Amino acid sequence: MERLKIGGLKLSVALCQFELRGPGPPQKIASTLSKALAAEKINIEFLTYNLSKDGAYHISLCVNQDKYYSTSKIVQEKGYFPVNWEVVSREKIGMVTIFPYHSALAVLGVIMATWGENSIPVYGVATSLSAISFLTDFQAIDKAVEVIQSSFQLPDNHAPLKPELHYYQSTVSKKD
Amino acid sequence: METIAVYWESRIKTYGFNKLNNLSLFEFYYPAKKTAELGKILSDHNFQDIKTKYIIAQESNNGISLVFCLPEKEGRGFHDSLKKTLSLKLYRYLYPVGILFFHGPHFGDRYGIADAAFSSLLEAGIKVISSGCSSASVFLVLAEDDLSRAEEALSKTFDSAQ
Repeated sequence: MERLKIGGLKLSVALCQFELRGPGPPQKIASTLSKALAAEKINIEFLTYNLSKDGAYHISLCVNQDKYYSTSKIVQEKGYFPVNWEVVSREKIGMVTIFPYHSALAVLGVIMATWGENSIPVYGVATSLSAISFLTDFQAIDKAVEVIQSSFQLPDNHAPLKPELHYYQSTVSKKD
Repeated sequence: METIAVYWESRIKTYGFNKLNNLSLFEFYYPAKKTAELGKILSDHNFQDIKTKYIIAQESNNGISLVFCLPEKEGRGFHDSLKKTLSLKLYRYLYPVGILFFHGPHFGDRYGIADAAFSSLLEAGIKVISSGCSSASVFLVLAEDDLSRAEEALSKTFDSAQ
């Protein structure tokens, strides 16, 4: 069977993940949480938000791994979340982004099939306009890339992109 | 060697807001131990021409919960096919929904974007059905009727390129 063509791969730096589940009001919680993270200048690298069929809301977010303790402190702080909200965290995960693609569904299917066969977990997925991102264990990234390279057609001499620049938004404003 | 670049923007810049309407949302849950099996079904050539506009997946109760948004006609067909193939028990189908998405030059590099988006919509009383933010973009699934109002609310907070 012909392998699907993809344009390339991008790997994240080490991230950490927080999953929050519970009954409503989720939008207020998403707003409160993102406001608390912004106040600490913590950039959210990945976020999904959804109401499950069983009526529970689920927010999953990833931040840079060096913000694990400061983010843990925020999500565990009393008053931010209703007591019946469950918080699960993963201290070190990675994100693999595949771009561009013709069929996100087909890419999703191949990743789930091949990673599943190789016991590589999928902790989250989100599409953007031209890419699809997958969360997995940071230690499994090399194996995940190997599996992708053998399951898809990549351009010749393609090497996964790794971040080299680290951006911060300054708190100091400079007027012209 | 680590390179640090610093910048500042007074109002979060975007390349503009994009709206998609007449979509259906389809969600289902599948056990984690069967993800390889699900993957084979989703990568089946029968589904390869389906143009999903939005996908998110979240780990949930030893399984995975998948959410798709598709044009209504494709969504109905996909929903029916999967129901037959997978014998889905826990699933959700919503119609009509719309997507409002946007991205900007510093998305992915800075903090405060999710706060600005969720807080603006909360203040405007607009319910977010589902959302996925990755690769420097924000996707919001809303009731179709709320799309224009959401754009209006977000335009007060974000700077939109003309």
